[in-house]
Amino acid sequence: MLLADFGTSYCKIVDTTSDRAPRIMATRELQRSFCADLATGHNAARRSKKSINELTALARGGRRLINRGDFVLLDCGSRDIKFIRFEDGEVADMGWNAECGASMGFTIELLAAYYRLDYSAIPVPETGFSITCGVLGMSHIFDSVVMGASETEAVAKFVRGIALNAYRFAREPKELYLSGGLCDNPLFVASFPCQVNPLGRFVLLEGLQTTLEKNCLDP
Amino acid sequence: MPGQVGIVGVPPLVIIEEIQRRGDLIIDLDEPQVQAPMDLSASRIPRVYCAILRTVVLNCMHLRLDRLYIDVGPGKCDCALHVAEILADMLPIPVIRTRNQDTRSFGHPLCTADMPLVEKFTRITRGVQSAAPYPDLDACQPVCGFWGVPPRDFSLLSLFPPTTHIFGWTRCMENKTPADLALEQHFDPAIPTVFFSQSFCAKSALAQHLAAKHPRAVAIDCDVTAGSSTRAKIEAFLELSGIEPQRGGAD
Repeated sequence: MLLADFGTSYCKIVDTTSDRAPRIMATRELQRSFCADLATGHNAARRSKKSINELTALARGGRRLINRGDFVLLDCGSRDIKFIRFEDGEVADMGWNAECGASMGFTIELLAAYYRLDYSAIPVPETGFSITCGVLGMSHIFDSVVMGASETEAVAKFVRGIALNAYRFAREPKELYLSGGLCDNPLFVASFPCQVNPLGRFVLLEGLQTTLEKNCLDP
Repeated sequence: MPGQVGIVGVPPLVIIEEIQRRGDLIIDLDEPQVQAPMDLSASRIPRVYCAILRTVVLNCMHLRLDRLYIDVGPGKCDCALHVAEILADMLPIPVIRTRNQDTRSFGHPLCTADMPLVEKFTRITRGVQSAAPYPDLDACQPVCGFWGVPPRDFSLLSLFPPTTHIFGWTRCMENKTPADLALEQHFDPAIPTVFFSQSFCAKSALAQHLAAKHPRAVAIDCDVTAGSSTRAKIEAFLELSGIEPQRGGAD
């Protein structure tokens, strides 16, 4: 069975009949004819035989990976952010910001490529920009550079602002589990004002795996 | 000869009765009445604004009305108060501002009935044009709740099961007491509830506030049309609350 998480920028794919680890590929490089058996994400309905909702996949993946009854799981994607809060093993709160908080992950990656930055070598700045989305945040970077800040410093403040925005969106928990590509960005992870446990990029695939097993058990 | 009377919001009952006595046709300007691009209204009203009031302006640009009643009191919103000024300047007809503070309760049988949610909202919004009492309807056991105003795009309602109870301003609307803030704030903490508001609407603050107080709730907002993200969010909320979302909707 081919399971796929079709993200806006990257696709995560795993073949459950093989021992090979999940693979990540740029969405723009995925063959047009590719079709998964079970998938989630923006293009899932078009590119799979069966699809499930992203937030549902996130919740099921979180429940599978996190052995606790109470936790907050935040997924920061290329285009949107989502969170789920579990209480006593049940979903107690959730959110999905796809409009006003849009394009955060995408913009962070774009800026690194444009300014040739290595996020693992940038310290967390003392303050961040107050920003609501990737596009509006770009204006802060340009203004800051015009005012004399270095590009690296300005982008670092942008990243910190994005992290703070995501943290507030998740209702400011003392501790959170992080899912998505930004787990690999040390500056982003360190910019949260709370304890962060990165889970990596395959949480939604784990949610698909749970769905698959559940469906197999209950045909 | 009967005239065409536009209404915005819920005018006082005495106005509805008067329009009916004269035999005029009521046109609800809060709902899309013309097939025209929304952007045409941008010359009169900002693009980043309540989609309901943008729809009102768009309707007024295309319809031939004889008179217009717009509620600008606590039963509507400040935005309507300001849009009334635009309409008064724009239209060569009387634009009559009302402040509906009716307190006579008509009840809200549709809000609690077992009926497709789109049908319930259609009947409730149509009910504004009538002063007649409602027929009795049995209340159903609710599996979830929808709090808020009638959305600009009814297609998002198609995701909900027929046993969804309606709360918020729509309930006030059916009750014919649109300024009843206590009724507007009422919700059922025992059922998972979607707190809906139009994007850029002042009621979004109340939606978020009440959603935070409710033990199992999500606040969503939507502009002109319900995009795939909005629909997906509702689907996920229902699914994760143990409710199978209806699949017969638009998209």
